[in-house]
Amino acid sequence: MSSDDIEILKRAIQREKLARKQAEKILEDKSRELYLITQELKKTNEKLEDQVGKKESELQGVFDNLLDAYVRMDIFGNVLEMNYAARNLFGYDITEEKLNVVKLIYKDDYKYAMASFQELVTKGSFSDYQARVYTKENGIRTVHINASLIFDKNKTPIGAQGIVTDITEELKQKQIFEEQKKQLSVIVENSSLGIVLAQFGKIVQTNKAFQNLLGYTAEELLKKEVKDISIKDEYEAVAENLEKMNTGIIDSFSVNKRYVKHNGSSFWAKTNIAAVRDHDGNIKYQVAFIEDITEQLKVEKQRDQLVKNLEKTNQELKDYAHIVSHDLKSPLRSINALVNWIKEDHIDTLDKTGVHHFTMIENTLEKMETLINNILSYSSVSNKDNLQTKEIDLNILIGDLKKIILIPDHIKISIKKKLPVINGDMTRIQQLFQNLIGNAVIYTDKEIGKIEIDYEDKKIHHLFSIKDNGIGIKQEHHEKIFKMFQSVGDNENSSGIGLAIVKKIIDLYEGDIWLESELGKGTTFYFTLKK
Amino acid sequence: MSLTFLLIDDDEIERLKFARVLDKNDYPHKIIEAKNGEEALDVLAQKDQQPDIIFLDLNMPKMNGLEFLKELKSDTSLQYIPVIILSTSNNHQDLKEAYEIGAAGYIVKPLKYEEYTHKIKCLIEYWSVNELLKA
Repeated sequence: MSSDDIEILKRAIQREKLARKQAEKILEDKSRELYLITQELKKTNEKLEDQVGKKESELQGVFDNLLDAYVRMDIFGNVLEMNYAARNLFGYDITEEKLNVVKLIYKDDYKYAMASFQELVTKGSFSDYQARVYTKENGIRTVHINASLIFDKNKTPIGAQGIVTDITEELKQKQIFEEQKKQLSVIVENSSLGIVLAQFGKIVQTNKAFQNLLGYTAEELLKKEVKDISIKDEYEAVAENLEKMNTGIIDSFSVNKRYVKHNGSSFWAKTNIAAVRDHDGNIKYQVAFIEDITEQLKVEKQRDQLVKNLEKTNQELKDYAHIVSHDLKSPLRSINALVNWIKEDHIDTLDKTGVHHFTMIENTLEKMETLINNILSYSSVSNKDNLQTKEIDLNILIGDLKKIILIPDHIKISIKKKLPVINGDMTRIQQLFQNLIGNAVIYTDKEIGKIEIDYEDKKIHHLFSIKDNGIGIKQEHHEKIFKMFQSVGDNENSSGIGLAIVKKIIDLYEGDIWLESELGKGTTFYFTLKK
Repeated sequence: MSLTFLLIDDDEIERLKFARVLDKNDYPHKIIEAKNGEEALDVLAQKDQQPDIIFLDLNMPKMNGLEFLKELKSDTSLQYIPVIILSTSNNHQDLKEAYEIGAAGYIVKPLKYEEYTHKIKCLIEYWSVNELLKA
């Protein structure tokens, strides 16, 4: 090897040494740099970890404070995390026991839950899931869930999270509200009264009855104002009351007004209008109830007319009976006078038979007059114009009657109990007793006649009875005898009006009359008079 | 003393009855007859034969008794003539109305002629002892 070669080698080694040294230095520098960077990274990492921890605990706080439940699970449905609300809602504490969400699914909602889960898997999220869930204590709650998948950095799903809202109470309230609304609308819709809700004269709501009354549809009515379906002059009268309602003087009022129908005709209706006020007492709406009174008015008018006609007819009848009776009496008087004159003037030429016939004419005239008088008193019984009510002592009245009625010696009238003092019209009450006692006298056929008057004090009524031991009345005549001209006896003094008058007087005093009778043994008449 | 009666009645037999009572009892009184209120007012318009007493039926055509009575009582020259009502009605209302207007008496005509005779006799005897205003 030449020295040159050695020299070359030496220089080469020298260069190599230098290069290594340089490399070592670079390495050293780099190492130092790396160290520094590492140190820095460590610091940053610590800071980051610190921050993550902080964020995590912040998040935890948010989760726990969330009113809605938060649930996180793995892809198998195992619950990994629940916030306070979730624990509260489901009743589970996953730090104590494992929980899979399948366990929470309400059995009837299983299919729906699975479908939603499928949606979650394919789309990555679902929202507005609404179903029932079981709680640990076997309670059932209705929940609303929004959920989304959680992915790792490779976009592989590793779990899901969801916000769960308990809407059980809300639903219940809503249901109650809906139910009440339904009930109310059933009432409103089925009401036979027309119902209108109006706001400042504008119609905002109507029911079926009102729509039918006016012949408009609900929609057509919504476009109208109250005055559009009212008659101008009448609406002004209502407006006056509305003003009073606006100023708070009244809360409601009632008015009879007309409504104009779709076809232009109108009808009368009774309208009740009430104010619906807000918290401050200002009127929010007016609610009106409308009742069609066309028929009612018609009926009332008819009834008024009928009553008027009846009154007129009644008065005419009264006058008629009065006039006819008196006009009938005049000829009787004349005949009586003429018969008398013939008898007076021609007594010498009349034989016994002739005189007898004239006497018979006179008797017939008398009977005729009695009849007319009875008709007259029958028709005046219910005439309130001459009704004079005062206290009547019946003991005195019967005593007086004994003198008026011709009582044969063989008939004895006895009062079994002290009679009361009653209120009534003297003429009528006297006629009542006179007719009944008179009948008892007329129809007595026994050798010794006994007529007994008895009394019983009933709470609302006086009960009297008049008993005789006369001929008796057949059962089939018990009703008939109280009717006009229905004399069933063959007594020639009977006009057939006496008991009809009795019945009418008892009717006047809101009483009743009936009888018990045995043929051949006698009859007891019972009657009541209202106190 | 002879009195002049004005008898107002539409019924001829009633007028005959009244006349017969006067005749049979030999009363010296004079009767003027009228068939209704209108006729009676005509009679009264002739001042030469003013009646002392008027007997008045109520039920009459044209002008009835009460209408006549009202007319009479509103006439100052005639209102003091006593008017006795001869009526078929004992209706309280008729009675009250008659006295209210100013009737001096009220007789219900009975069915029987004897009773009628008796009532008229009493009436005539009562009024013949009364002092009367002369028109």
